[in-house]
Amino acid sequence: MKKKLVSMLLASAMVASMLTGCGGGSDDAGSTPAAETETPAADAETPAAEEEAPAADAETEAPAADGLAYTGDLNLMHYSTSEESEGNGGSDGFRTMIAEWKEANPNINLVENVLANDEYKTQIATLAAADDLPDVFLLQGMNTKAWAEQGLVMDLTDIIAQSPYAADYQEAYYTPFKTADGKVYGLPALTGGTCTVVVYDKQMWKDAGFDSFPATWDEVLTAKDYFSGEGIDTIAFGNSGKWQANSCFMSTIGTMFTGKEWFQSIIDKGGAAFTDDDQVAALKFAQDAFNSGVFNADFNAVSNEDAREYYIAGDAAAFIGGNWDVSYIMATLLEADEEKYNNIGFATFPSIEGAKMSNVQNIGMGYGMAINAKLADDPDKLAAAIDLIYKLTGPDFSNFVASNYALGGLTAVDNVDLSAFDQITQDFYNWSYVDTEPCEIYDSYVSSAVWDVYNTGLQDLLNGDTDAETVAADAQASYEANY
Amino acid sequence: MLRSIKPKGWKIALYLCIPVIWYVFSVFVPLITAVFYSFFEWKGGPKKTFIGLDNYISLIKDGTFWQSFGHNIYLVIACIIGQVGIAFIFVLIVNSRLVKLKGIHRTFGFFPSTISAVCIGFIWTMIYDYKRGILNWFLTATGHGDSVQVWLNNPKLVMFLVAIPLVWQFIGYYMVILLSAISSVDTEIFEVAELDGANAFQRAIYIVLPLIKNTLLVCITLCVAGNMKAFDHIFTMTEGGPGTSSMVMAMYGYKISFAQMNMGYGSAISVGIFIVSLVVIGGSQKLVNLLMQGKGVE
Repeated sequence: MKKKLVSMLLASAMVASMLTGCGGGSDDAGSTPAAETETPAADAETPAAEEEAPAADAETEAPAADGLAYTGDLNLMHYSTSEESEGNGGSDGFRTMIAEWKEANPNINLVENVLANDEYKTQIATLAAADDLPDVFLLQGMNTKAWAEQGLVMDLTDIIAQSPYAADYQEAYYTPFKTADGKVYGLPALTGGTCTVVVYDKQMWKDAGFDSFPATWDEVLTAKDYFSGEGIDTIAFGNSGKWQANSCFMSTIGTMFTGKEWFQSIIDKGGAAFTDDDQVAALKFAQDAFNSGVFNADFNAVSNEDAREYYIAGDAAAFIGGNWDVSYIMATLLEADEEKYNNIGFATFPSIEGAKMSNVQNIGMGYGMAINAKLADDPDKLAAAIDLIYKLTGPDFSNFVASNYALGGLTAVDNVDLSAFDQITQDFYNWSYVDTEPCEIYDSYVSSAVWDVYNTGLQDLLNGDTDAETVAADAQASYEANY
Repeated sequence: MLRSIKPKGWKIALYLCIPVIWYVFSVFVPLITAVFYSFFEWKGGPKKTFIGLDNYISLIKDGTFWQSFGHNIYLVIACIIGQVGIAFIFVLIVNSRLVKLKGIHRTFGFFPSTISAVCIGFIWTMIYDYKRGILNWFLTATGHGDSVQVWLNNPKLVMFLVAIPLVWQFIGYYMVILLSAISSVDTEIFEVAELDGANAFQRAIYIVLPLIKNTLLVCITLCVAGNMKAFDHIFTMTEGGPGTSSMVMAMYGYKISFAQMNMGYGSAISVGIFIVSLVVIGGSQKLVNLLMQGKGVE
């Protein structure tokens, strides 16, 4: 009897393990069917919508302002999940605009496929490889040239020029989505945000003898001696995903050393190389900085999500990360520790001896709304897609994020009324859009192949396992082979 | 009698064709398309350029691929010794007369195998964590504060550290397989051996081992095959880092295909993994057979 029980238990455990095994493997794939299941349900509605359509057409043929002739499905893929939209202004605005557009266009069945950002990147890359992209989607800057060359994405240059909001678009945001011949393939979407901001605790730095975050790196090194005596890290940073050291560090530090022209030349293939002295000097500085003990010792083993918790918990006096980290830190502290919230200060990376620039931060819009090139065959559907991307990036969106979150979108908003926000939110708005010198985000450009090699080398470099020249040479080789 | 209930040949074929078609579709079709794509320079999308064997030539020269291959072999060896070896010892212990509550040992020994690899990865990442991990806490508490370090950031140790969760998870799995093999052996054989004066060690090597040889071979093959495609634990723990210090072949193929969007070369890597895995699995079977022959059975 006992034996039987044990064997039953073992058997069920085995079955369970097989099931978990399957479950583990198909997690990624699993999200697709789940997302797609929305379609049949939505499909069921379509006939109803179509039935209404003729009636509506008959009545409002002439006066319809938009006059979208298209009825049927329009596929949209994006990564503004409902979880993400809580607290994240860009996502919230994006979802709100989608809802408004749906309401305004009842004849069109907008089929949304929403995935979290990491899964989105994998999924969209797979769909691009299979030449099966959705009608409208978010294009990441660094994929622009490759996908445009493949004929996957539609040239939006004329469409952007004809936009009713064209005059308000801030054209500086176009660059990641431009090809060498000046064509634009994406209409920059979501909010423009920094990728490298120093968040620091004013009180902790005051205790260390600094009225604000030090203006020079040498002073930070001095502060380090004080903080390590206190048993806390000076600056928290997380690079376990490997992209952080690029997007949230080297992109800004590199520009401080090389000036803006160098990266422009890299983008334009104008002769600049990763092996240029200034870039190598920047890599060397990064290596020294991470060896100096200023950062938490486990920076390569924890993610930015972990590192910002060190700051929130008071284990680190400052933190370097992107705007997404700032919104998390602000939301968490506002709820948990109002005093620490009011002590939040924002700074750029301190000036470095031998560097050409200071007070720099990399800001931009990494994703743009793109349209599948195949829509050219269906003018009505294309018109609907264009109307959708105008809406998602237009003044409605910018006003929404400006008035609710003090963030900026593609369309310029005049006279943003900041008075409704608290001091910290105002500080961050001014820091992001007014008081600092913007520069480009490295991995919004060039090619994913180059950055994968660069990031992997960078992680080794910061660890002290390789030298700056090797990382630069590897990146250059990949740049020449892939771009 | 038997013949009257035995289904006709075409019926068997009909039923069999469902799994066969499924298998062909999910294994052979991707394999063949991967071979096809591996001859192209293909960065995703509709445009491909035929480049013949260029991808394979770069693969042979690709240091990172062979480094990853070395890491897979390291895992295979660590897991054969760790998983199958320790499982074998556990089986002998659980089977011995001294151990009470055998059922509980068997059940709980199997538990880790039922947890998803991603969870295991996260659990062990927490154990190794620099600031809050139990390992560093234990070292400090026992007065070894100077050996505290960022474990998963040490390129020399990282393969060893990611192998531990893999071994830990699957001991119970092989234990179950080996237990069932031993329970199918007539207990009289062990009793006779004991009466003849064979000690526990001798019984294990000269009686148990040869009798369960075939099962052991299956275990080793499973273990080799499983570790040639290792991915999920390591992806959760280090993503192959620091640098490429814990990169394994499957992850390298994934990175090239999806992070670098180089589908052609990624396909060539997959084909490469397939070939080297066949060689390693075939080789390990030969090796086990050779070792077993030395023991004077079969």
